[in-house]
Amino acid sequence: MSGSPDNPLLPLCQIPAGGLCRVRMLAGDPAFCQRVREMGFGESSFVTKVSGSSTILCQVAGTRIALSHDAAVNILVEPLTRS
Amino acid sequence: MSLPAHIASASASPGTRLPTYALVGNPNCGKSTLFNALTGMKQKVGNYPGVTVEKKVGTTFSQHGQPITVIDLPGAYSLAARSPDEAVTRDVLLGRRADTQQPDRILCIIDATNLERNLYLVHQILDLGRPVIVVLNMMDLAEKAGLNIRAARLEHELGVPVIPCEAVRGKGLVELRVAMSRHDLPLSRHAWEVPAPISAAVAELQASLTRNDLKSPLIARAEALLLLTDQDSIRVAGSTPLSPQTAEILQGWKTKWEGQGTDWAAVLVNSRYDAIGRIAADVVLRAGDQGPTTSDKIDAVVTHPVWGWVTLGAVMTLLFLSIFTFAEYPMNWIDDHMASLGDWVKGAMPPGDLRDLVTDGAIAGVGGVIIFLPQILILFFFIGLLESTGYMARAAFIMDRLMSKVGLNGKSFIPLLSSYACAIPGIMATRTIEEPKDRLVTILVAPLMSCSARLPVYLLMIAALLPGDRVPTWSKVGLMLLMYMLGTVGAFAFAWLFKRTLLKGAPPLMIMELPPYRLPAVRDVAFHMFERAWIFVRRAGTVILGISIILWFLSAYPKAPDTATPTEQIAQSFAGRAGHLIEPAIRPLGFDWQIGIGLITSFAAREVFVSTMSVVFNAGSDDADTAPLRQALLAAHWPDGRRLFTPLVCLTLMVFYVFAMQCVSTVVVVRRETNSWRWPLFQIGYMTGTAWVVCFLVFQVGRALGY
Repeated sequence: MSGSPDNPLLPLCQIPAGGLCRVRMLAGDPAFCQRVREMGFGESSFVTKVSGSSTILCQVAGTRIALSHDAAVNILVEPLTRS
Repeated sequence: MSLPAHIASASASPGTRLPTYALVGNPNCGKSTLFNALTGMKQKVGNYPGVTVEKKVGTTFSQHGQPITVIDLPGAYSLAARSPDEAVTRDVLLGRRADTQQPDRILCIIDATNLERNLYLVHQILDLGRPVIVVLNMMDLAEKAGLNIRAARLEHELGVPVIPCEAVRGKGLVELRVAMSRHDLPLSRHAWEVPAPISAAVAELQASLTRNDLKSPLIARAEALLLLTDQDSIRVAGSTPLSPQTAEILQGWKTKWEGQGTDWAAVLVNSRYDAIGRIAADVVLRAGDQGPTTSDKIDAVVTHPVWGWVTLGAVMTLLFLSIFTFAEYPMNWIDDHMASLGDWVKGAMPPGDLRDLVTDGAIAGVGGVIIFLPQILILFFFIGLLESTGYMARAAFIMDRLMSKVGLNGKSFIPLLSSYACAIPGIMATRTIEEPKDRLVTILVAPLMSCSARLPVYLLMIAALLPGDRVPTWSKVGLMLLMYMLGTVGAFAFAWLFKRTLLKGAPPLMIMELPPYRLPAVRDVAFHMFERAWIFVRRAGTVILGISIILWFLSAYPKAPDTATPTEQIAQSFAGRAGHLIEPAIRPLGFDWQIGIGLITSFAAREVFVSTMSVVFNAGSDDADTAPLRQALLAAHWPDGRRLFTPLVCLTLMVFYVFAMQCVSTVVVVRRETNSWRWPLFQIGYMTGTAWVVCFLVFQVGRALGY
């Protein structure tokens, strides 16, 4: 997998289904950021978006996690391409 | 063959005091199954004082047959608690609760299919400096997923015993008991360097916790790390507060870092994950790309924007269809036997008050309720199955979009769905909701979901409304579904209203794990189902029997003159007088004083309405046999000769039971959960007020339309 230094950061909800990405920044309430990190969405972790546009389903650290749209907006990721 | 170190080394000699173990793990890691497997029926279930978080304590036995106490703590993702449940787990482990002895040792349960995320909590627990045993549960599922987990390697890395296990099949339990029996469990030697810039803060807090809060040095270090990462430390009742000195030092460091703009909490979490990542890379061998797993394939349909809704609709329809079809034979069997018993007693005893008390009071009252046991068993079986297979979380996922429209998130759907079975476990399930306002809104609307106690009332009314021989089953199922939908729509409408008025707040952000699909743990589902059935039968044999006898007395006394008809007798009895008292308030809904008696008594429990109708109408019947209740209802009339239970009245009564708050046990639980009488009283007022208004509209509009 590879990323490009020019890749802009996108909210997780904008990644297409099946897309791979890497968490770069967490925004929003500090308590929410803390829990998201503890669930495996720490900065630099890899995430695969499985499906969803309003409620998001994704795979992180071997676990399937559901995120509401407003939560996914606060997770800024770098899209990656599978090599 | 040499034995692994954790089995080969010395075990506790007979006579040594055996330690208390705490069972800790992430939600869905199989903790409860392991607890049941270890302790069997030897469990005590209670509550932690001050908070309605279930406290389960059980006894297992060492290899020498000596009892070992095991405390099952609520599931947690982290010791930095975000809900009352997680706060109890943290407080017990840190020795902050005066009501629970700090456990000597800790059993950490890990879902082997999800090692990294589960190791985060283990990593925090190893900091506590207590002897720990790690249980690698669900090893079979990990293998199927192409994961080869080297348990011996993990044991070497963490420095504590690691036992591979399949709790559902009882595999690994012998090895676990042997490890638990050891008196010399080693302390972890896991190396984790705290980032240098915060080590000064950790040292200062550790010293203060040791000096001012009387914590042992190792616990103090773990608590110092936790305090620095806890963004919003939830304190629950029963938790010992920090000393002022420690609180001042903590605030000083947090203010200093805020000024520097450094997020040390994030650094700490990420550095833990870095350490875990290194361990996992060494311990887990992954087979090549396995392609989509079975869970992936099922999820492609079940969480699909269209097929997901179709699946949810199909599951709900199947549930209600089963309640009607599968339960028919056992219900007829119970009905026949209750009727035979009543007739036998009537034949065996001389006529008089005692015979009437037994037949019209006890047998008619209890029999009228116990007949619904098969349907309640089916309901709890389905709810247990949905939880056990992992579908419940998918239902929450599907519902999240809809729930967000009313200001809640998908997590609130699980307590609401559980409330279909009973509002009490539903309300208790709200403790996993992080936001206090969202939790309160969910508690306030949960009793609007039609619970199993309302089933007998609906079924009786449907039987009176749609005679079984002339109407196909699907119309009955449709009407029943309509009642459930009415309650659900009502719950959503009130949640929307409360989130915009009384309990304003931004929509909560949902982050929820969807566990992999599993074959249902049939033993656990059956255990739960029979536990609930026993509660129902016990209630029928105690509360409902008692109320039936009291009701019989209240409807048989004071005695009318011998020339009075049975109808005149009940009209001038104590119960009749109470019914007459409230009749002016319920007459606009189409209800008379006899139905009024049922509305009053069913505040004890909704199903009591059915037994009340049995007592009231059988007592007023001239028939010497135990007439089926449906016929008795259909024969009931107003004094002017109009039929009492018209289809419109039956429908209005069902609508009343959809909305009215009529369960004293729920009131008590809401009082306990919210720690105030204000909310349960508000709940009684708004629900019963709504019930009256909606029923008034239904009845008056229906009558105006000529029904």
